[in-house]
Amino acid sequence: MELEVKRDRLVLRARGNKWEWHIEPRYWRNPLIYVGILIIVPVVVYFVYRPLLPTIIEANLLATIAIPLALMTIGTGRMNFGPQFYIGIGGYTAALLSIHYHLNPGLTLIAAALGGLLFGFLMSPLAIISGGLYYSLLTLLFPLLFLELTLIFVDLFKGDTGLAGIAPLVSVGSFSLNLLAYTFITLIMMLFYLFIVDKILRSRYAVPMAAINDDEEVANGIGVNINKVKIISVAIPAMMIAIIGWFYAHYYGTFSGQTFLPLTFMLKIFMVTMIGGRTQIYGAIVGGYFIAFLELILIRTAGDMASLIFPIILLILLLVLPEGLFGLYRKRRYREYKPTLHVRR
Amino acid sequence: MAEILKVTDITKHFGGLTAVNGVSLSINEGETVGLMGPNGAGKTTLVNMICGSYSADSGKIEFMGKDITKLPPWKRCKLGISRTYQIPRPFPELTAMGSVVVSALHGKDRPNRSFEDAYTEATCYLEFVGLFSKRNILARDLTLFEMRGLELARALATGPKLIFVDEVMAGLNPGEAAKAVRLIERAKDQFGVTVLWIEHVMAVLMRAAQRVIVLHYGEKIAEGPPQEVADNPLVIESYLGK
Amino acid sequence: MLVVIETTLIYTFLLGSLYLLVSLGFSLICGVLRIFHLGYAYIFTATIYFTWMFMSLFGWGLIPSIAAMLVIQAGIAIAIYKGLVVRYMHQEEILILGLLFVAIILEQAALRFYPIQAGVYLETTMIPGLSKIGQVTVSNQLIFAAILGIVVTGLFVLFFLKTKLGLAVRAISYDVYSSRLMGIRVERVFMFIMVLVLIPVILATLAIAPIWAVDPSMGWGYMIIAILVSVLGGLGNIKGTIIASYIIGFCHSVVGFVINEPQFMGLSALIVVLIMLIVRPQGIARSETVW
Repeated sequence: MELEVKRDRLVLRARGNKWEWHIEPRYWRNPLIYVGILIIVPVVVYFVYRPLLPTIIEANLLATIAIPLALMTIGTGRMNFGPQFYIGIGGYTAALLSIHYHLNPGLTLIAAALGGLLFGFLMSPLAIISGGLYYSLLTLLFPLLFLELTLIFVDLFKGDTGLAGIAPLVSVGSFSLNLLAYTFITLIMMLFYLFIVDKILRSRYAVPMAAINDDEEVANGIGVNINKVKIISVAIPAMMIAIIGWFYAHYYGTFSGQTFLPLTFMLKIFMVTMIGGRTQIYGAIVGGYFIAFLELILIRTAGDMASLIFPIILLILLLVLPEGLFGLYRKRRYREYKPTLHVRR
Repeated sequence: MAEILKVTDITKHFGGLTAVNGVSLSINEGETVGLMGPNGAGKTTLVNMICGSYSADSGKIEFMGKDITKLPPWKRCKLGISRTYQIPRPFPELTAMGSVVVSALHGKDRPNRSFEDAYTEATCYLEFVGLFSKRNILARDLTLFEMRGLELARALATGPKLIFVDEVMAGLNPGEAAKAVRLIERAKDQFGVTVLWIEHVMAVLMRAAQRVIVLHYGEKIAEGPPQEVADNPLVIESYLGK
Repeated sequence: MLVVIETTLIYTFLLGSLYLLVSLGFSLICGVLRIFHLGYAYIFTATIYFTWMFMSLFGWGLIPSIAAMLVIQAGIAIAIYKGLVVRYMHQEEILILGLLFVAIILEQAALRFYPIQAGVYLETTMIPGLSKIGQVTVSNQLIFAAILGIVVTGLFVLFFLKTKLGLAVRAISYDVYSSRLMGIRVERVFMFIMVLVLIPVILATLAIAPIWAVDPSMGWGYMIIAILVSVLGGLGNIKGTIIASYIIGFCHSVVGFVINEPQFMGLSALIVVLIMLIVRPQGIARSETVW
């Protein structure tokens, strides 16, 4: 008896007979199945073990950050080592407007998005003038300097303790129902971002981005307006990431740069990206859930050693799984575009 | 025949080295012009300047009567200038089809052109160079000859009026070389492009070019029909020494 | 007016020389190994906390602890080189993240075992007391650190210009492949460089430990300065690093001591570097060549 695994089918040979099963990729790749799972899980968790809900929220949010980051990386052809800068922008905008001007979350959302867009535009020339390595260094520095600014202007940003008293996004009555509502909001955000970025990456607008990611100079020579593409590739994902900062502010009710701007948060985001197979946006969801639940398990089992063990495990994962978990799956699908990450040009 | 490219007194310095020194040339529509010169003569630098990768330190470049000296490379491409590269520079992560689609989408402005239309056009150019069967192979996995073909397809897909062909023969065996020459001649016929051909191999230019320009140490030392240039003592000296 | 000039000059000299010690290693690694050692911050933390560990755990004196710390640091540097750098030298995204993780792990370990309340303090004052230069009062230890910086940099320059190994390092920084062809054992030299750059950082950390506060996160601030100096001076070029250190020192001294807004020191340095990048993107001196 012999079982053979081919690319799209299983072949079983026994007793002179042969059976073939076609692995219809469509069936188990059908996104509805996974959306269904993602919707059902929080509901089940709500009834079975409520304390898991914040972890699910965190997982969704991490994935939601990684998705526009992938877009930014492909479109500029460089790696932005400081995406958390835009979270700071969105979060502080929402927090300040909510506390001092009592704007409702809808208005702060618009303000945070505009703030992200503005700063995205301001930072985009960096992608044009600096080459890969310099760009990575400078983007690394910007969140750290933003953090310094929050400590300097203590009256405005309230330094380490952060701003408190931000209006909650949802107030349904019971705390757990609020949590469930937040879970669904993050789920909708994540799926919405996934949908948009996926559509962009399958459209004609991804073509110049892929060209720039591969070879900027040649792209310039065949008619791609590289500066325009790069500016848009920084500004739009910046806006998307700033909106997540807005969500953090209204979800926690407090916002402190100390939580989001230092390197520890950036490394979490990058591990989500790496486990998700670098720039694979579907993989970002896998990565997000993996990292969030890994952190949860560590805190529950290791207690105060968690903050030491977590980076150790992440480092081991980075070295052992260079393609990430999702990348192992993607390796079998050769034909579609799999961009390389460029740090040095 | 109308003059489509006019380069006046163009110069480029790299630090202390003068790569191109006061070169002037003009190209008429429909011609095949050869550009020759020993290694380091400044041929590729000249082409880089006309295409826009380098900016000229002084001088003027006019294309179809328009001054393009200060235009960025992509605008020059949209006006109708295109090039291939001496060392092929394919888009490593894109398939052959994908590479040509980039050009088809971004070259000459074609109104009402959708993504699918670009794909169809790209197949047309791929088939012209004979790579249609390899369209789904990653560009970096092609052989050298196929990569050169892909470069040509990519350059042609932008719909150029003037195309710079940079040392197509390097590294090809005689059979492939002959095929490459025929391909470029067919491209001229079918797409009506003007060709500026940088080449070392004299025999090719003898056959294909109406006019040859020779550079040496960044300066133009000869210009004229191929036979005349081949007999020019200055040219012989530049290649062989005294 | 005279006070302003005096303050500016003195602090430019002091801070610039100190930053030279701090940035020299980072710049060298950029120039020779052509990688961004973003884990550089761990060296500062490790210096202080390993020394303290030997002193408090085993009860050793200061000098033996420092010696033991040197040995451990060299070991860590070699382990990082063999474990991370060699394997991922051409996949920079993994390398940079890995180095950052190493730095974070060491910082978290230090935080865990020696939190801020543990009262870590190294008595490494060489010259106690204060001096008055003109109208400006500065700590003697700072002057000592600055002079140390100049001496060490001078030794490094002499080393690179006059010795055979220094010549090999310079050759590698120009062109790795040709250096290999010339018979230079590139991997050995890389390992040597990774251990060599520990020296200025350790000296700098030990020198300023008694006058400026130490805590597990101190490395990041210094690494930011090292990054800014290196980017400004042209990555890897010692000449550029020297000039850039004093420019940033000047910037910090003006902002911190003349205008008297020390919180803006970091931001002002970044603005200077950004302006430089717009005007001359490759930095002051030719980047990625050591001299």
